[in-house]
Amino acid sequence: MLTALLSRIWNAFRRQRLEKEFNEEVEAHLEMLAERFIAQGMESAEAFYAARRQFGGVTQIKEELWERHALPPIDVLFQDLRHAFRQLRNSKRFTASAAITLALGIGASTAVFSVLDAVVLRPLPFVDPDRLMAFASMDRRGTPHPGLLSYPTFFDFRHQNRVFDHLVSYRDERFTLNDSLPAIQVVGEIVSWDLFPLLGVQPELGRGFRPEEEAAGTHVAVLSNSLWRSRFGGDPGILRRHIRVNGKPFAVVGVAPAGFRFPLNNPEVELWTTLSEDATLTEFTPLTSQRGARVLDATGRLKPGVTVEQARAQMDQIAGSLARIYPDNNKNVATTAVMPEMQRLTGRSRKPLLILLGAVGLLLLIACANVANLLLARSTERAREFSLRTALGASRLALARQLLMESLALGLAGSALGVLLGVGILKAILPLAGDSLPRISQAGIDSRVLAFSAVAAILTSLLFGAAPVIQAARADIAGALKEGAANIARGQDWFRSALIISQIALGLVLIVGAELLIGSFLYLVQRDLGFRADHLLTFGIGLPDTRNVAAQITFCDRLLEHLRAVPGVQAAATGMPLPLEGDQMSVSFDIEERHTAAPDRPHSDMAIVTPGYFRAMGIPLLKGRDFSERDDTHATRVLVVNQAFARKYFPGEDVIGKRIEPGATNGKEGTRLREIVGVVGNARQAPLSADPDPIYYFPYKQLPWGIGTIVLRTSVPPLKVENAVRDVLTSLDREAPMYKVRTGSEISAAAISRPRFQMVLMGGFAAAALLLTVTGLYGVLSYAVARRRREIGVRIALGAKRSEVVSLVLRQAALFVTAGIALGLAGAIGAGRLLENMVYGVRPGALSIAIGACCVMVITSLLAAYIPAGHAASVDPVRALRSE
Amino acid sequence: MPKDRSEVLQGTLDLMVLKALDAMGPLHGYGIARRIEQLSEEVLRLNEGTVYASLLRLAQKGWIRSEWGASENNRKARFYSITRSGRRQMNREAESWERISGVIGRLLRLESQH
Repeated sequence: MLTALLSRIWNAFRRQRLEKEFNEEVEAHLEMLAERFIAQGMESAEAFYAARRQFGGVTQIKEELWERHALPPIDVLFQDLRHAFRQLRNSKRFTASAAITLALGIGASTAVFSVLDAVVLRPLPFVDPDRLMAFASMDRRGTPHPGLLSYPTFFDFRHQNRVFDHLVSYRDERFTLNDSLPAIQVVGEIVSWDLFPLLGVQPELGRGFRPEEEAAGTHVAVLSNSLWRSRFGGDPGILRRHIRVNGKPFAVVGVAPAGFRFPLNNPEVELWTTLSEDATLTEFTPLTSQRGARVLDATGRLKPGVTVEQARAQMDQIAGSLARIYPDNNKNVATTAVMPEMQRLTGRSRKPLLILLGAVGLLLLIACANVANLLLARSTERAREFSLRTALGASRLALARQLLMESLALGLAGSALGVLLGVGILKAILPLAGDSLPRISQAGIDSRVLAFSAVAAILTSLLFGAAPVIQAARADIAGALKEGAANIARGQDWFRSALIISQIALGLVLIVGAELLIGSFLYLVQRDLGFRADHLLTFGIGLPDTRNVAAQITFCDRLLEHLRAVPGVQAAATGMPLPLEGDQMSVSFDIEERHTAAPDRPHSDMAIVTPGYFRAMGIPLLKGRDFSERDDTHATRVLVVNQAFARKYFPGEDVIGKRIEPGATNGKEGTRLREIVGVVGNARQAPLSADPDPIYYFPYKQLPWGIGTIVLRTSVPPLKVENAVRDVLTSLDREAPMYKVRTGSEISAAAISRPRFQMVLMGGFAAAALLLTVTGLYGVLSYAVARRRREIGVRIALGAKRSEVVSLVLRQAALFVTAGIALGLAGAIGAGRLLENMVYGVRPGALSIAIGACCVMVITSLLAAYIPAGHAASVDPVRALRSE
Repeated sequence: MPKDRSEVLQGTLDLMVLKALDAMGPLHGYGIARRIEQLSEEVLRLNEGTVYASLLRLAQKGWIRSEWGASENNRKARFYSITRSGRRQMNREAESWERISGVIGRLLRLESQH
C-alpha cells in the first residue's frame, strides 16, 4: 500500500518520461502493424488507418496508465482545490469557525517555533560551528558544576593541550569611551589574541589581534560595527587613529563585520581587547597572575580528527596534574567540562522551549480534533450529496480526493490566518522574554518559519481531513440515499466521542502545565525579596581611571555626598553586586574557630557596599551595627553577614564578634581575619532560587575593588530624580558617564522575566485549549441533541420531566469528561514531571494541582453542556414528532 | 475480417499474455498481439491497444518485467518477460480456468442432451 503510494508519487515526477516512452512503444507497434498490412497488399495510407483501427483507442489506455501508476496530474489537483475553495465559500459560517480554530493552533505553533528556531535550532554564525567547544573546569564543591577559570590555570591549559587549535579566554568588562563628549560606557570583552581565528571571522576592516598584543602595556581594540558607525561615523581612517578608553589611548586595529556577536549570549558587546588589559600592573596583583581569581570563560576549536571525548580526557589529565601542583587553588577543580559551544549557549533554554513547543503541539491537536468534529458534522449533512455523486459514477477515490482537498483548502486558509496571528503573538511575547533567552531578539517570521507553518498546515489537514474520509469509506452510501442521514450518524458517534474525549485529555495536560507555571510565578512574585524594590533607583558610573584606588574612594565619597543633597533622595550608597542582578561573586573563607585547609573551606556569595547601603536598599539590620565611615584601612577589618549566613555557619551561636578570614584581598595586604559586626535580613542575590543564599558584605573602603552600582532611596517616584542626578554627575566629572539606569521594580521584574514568559505562553495555550475543548464539547452535545429530537420528543410526550431530559444530556457530558480526565491524568502527571526544574515553590506531583485542573475542566464542561441540555428540555414534543 | 469479434474478458487477456510470454520468451507488445492472434486462429480479434492495458496491469502486480531492446527490424522496442511470481500466477489461473471451463463444458453438454 505504502510502496504503491510512493511509486505513484515517484512516477508523478517522471510523468513526462513515462508518457514519452509509452508513445514510442505505441508508435512502433502501429508502424509494424501497418507494414504487415502493406505486405498483405494494402495501400500505405489505408494500412495506416487499418492499423489504428485494430489498435483501438490510445487515450483510454493512457488514462488507465495514469489512474494506475501516478498521482492525478497537477492541473486536476488544482481544479479540485479550486472546487474545494468554492465549497468553503458556500458555507461561510463553517469555514470561519474551522479556519479560526486552525489559525489559533497554527499561529501559536508558528510563534513558538520561531522562538525555538532563533534560540536553539539555528547553528552558531561561525565557521564549522560543530567543532567549537565550550571549555570550563568542573567545580566539585556542592553539586559539581562547570566553573570559571583563572588566568594562570587557563594559560597552563592553553600551553599543555594538544587537542585544541585555538583555546580562547574571555570575560566581560565595562569600558568608558572618553575621547569626545559625551563620554559613554560600553560593554567590552577581554579576550585571548586568537578570538577571530578561532571563530573563522574576518574583521570587516583591518585585522584581528596578534599574539604579541597579549603583552602587558599593549592597548589595542577591535570595534563593533555599530559602535564604529554610531560614534565614529563609519570613518575607515579609524584604523590610523587612537581612541581614549578608560583615559588611555587604544589603537583601533579592526572593525568587526556587521551583526558580529561574541559571546553570543551578550548582545551588548561593542569592543574587544586583548587580555593585556588584565596583565597590566596596577596597585593590585594583575589578574593574569592570580591563580585563585576565577573570572574566565573559554572556548576552543577541536583539532581535526580529535573527538570531544579525547579532548575531555586530555583536559582532565592536565586539570589533575594542576590540582597536584597547586592544591590550594586547583584541588577543587581537578576535572573539566568540554561540551559543544551550542550546548552551552542553548542548554538552559532548550528544554523549556521544547516543552512549550510540545504544549503548543497539544493545542494544535486539540484544534485538529475540533475541526475534524466540525467536518464530520458537515459531511453528515452532505451525505446525500456524496451518495448522488457516487451514483453518478464518482469513484470512492475521487470522493476521498475531494474531501482531502477541502481539508487542505481549509488548512491553507487556516495557516495563512495563523501566520498573521503568529506575527501578532510574537510581537506580544518577545518583550516579555527580555534577554532571558539568548538570541531571542533574532526571532521573526522568515522562510524557515513559513516552511514550518506550511508543513504544519499540511500535516494537520491530513490529520483532520482523515476523519470525514474514513467516515465516508464506512458509510453505506446507498442507504444514505434512501433513508437520509440518520444511520450514518449512528456509525460515526464513536468517532466523535473518541475525538472529544481525547481533546479533554489533552486539554487537561495543558491545564496542569499552566497551573504549575502560574503557581510558580505567583510564588516568585510574592516571595520576600529581602529588600524594598519600590522607590529605588540604581545606575552605574564609568570612572575615567579605574586604576587609582585612592582617587576612586574620594570620588565616591564626594558623589554620594552630593547625591544625598538632591531633593527627593533619602539615602545614597553603592553596592557590588546588587541583589537579583544575576552577577554573583563567590569567595571561600576560613572560620577562625574551625580552621581548615584551603581546598576544604566553605564558600559563599559576597558583596562590597558602602555605609548606608542596607538602609538605602531597605534591607533590615537585625543585629549589631551597620558599617560606618570609620571602617577604613586604619580600623579593624569588619564584615556584615545575612541571616542565612549566620544560620548556616554559626547555627545556634551569636555570630557577632566571630572572626573569619575570606579569600578576598585587596592585593597589597593579603588575606586578613575580619570580624562580623552585624546581621542583616536575607536579600536574594540569585534571581531564581527557592531559598535565599548566605552572603557576607565587606565595607568598600576595606576592600576597594571597584565603585559598584549606585543605589538611591527616593521619597518621590525614582525616575523623577534621574535628571538631577545626571547634573550632579556632570558637575563632578564631565567624563564619567551614567549607564544602566534602572528602578528597583525593573530589577525585580527582569529577574523573573523568564518564568513570566513561560507562564504567559503556557497559560495562553491552556486557555485556548480549554476554549476549544469546551466549544468542541458544546458542538458534539448540541449535535447529539438535534439528532435525538424525536426520541427526546417521545420521552417528553410520555411524561419525562424537564430535569430528566437535562440530566440525560449532562450524563453524556459527564461520561466524556470522566473518560477524558481518566485518560489525561496520567499524561498530566508526566507533563508535571517535565516541568520539575522550571518551577519554584510548587510541587509538580501535588494532588491539589491535579484536582484543581480536574475542577476547571469539569466546571467549564458542565457550563458548556448546560446549553444543549436546556435546548433538549425545551423540545416541543408535537413538533419534534411531526418533523421528518 | 470476422464480424463476431469476441469480447475478451480482462482476466482472460491477462492469462493469455502471461501464457504467450511463458511460451515464447521475451516479446514486445506487437509480438504478443501477433502471438495471440495466431493461437486463437483469428477467432479472437482484439483491439491491440488493450494488450498494453493488460501489460500495465501485469507489470504493476510484478508478474512481468520489461526491458528496452531492439526489434527485428532494428527499432527501439520494449521487451516484456514473465517473472517467477508471474509464472506461479499463470499456473494458478490456468488450473482454475481449466476447472471452470471443464465444468461449463460438461454443463453445456448436459443441457444439449435434453
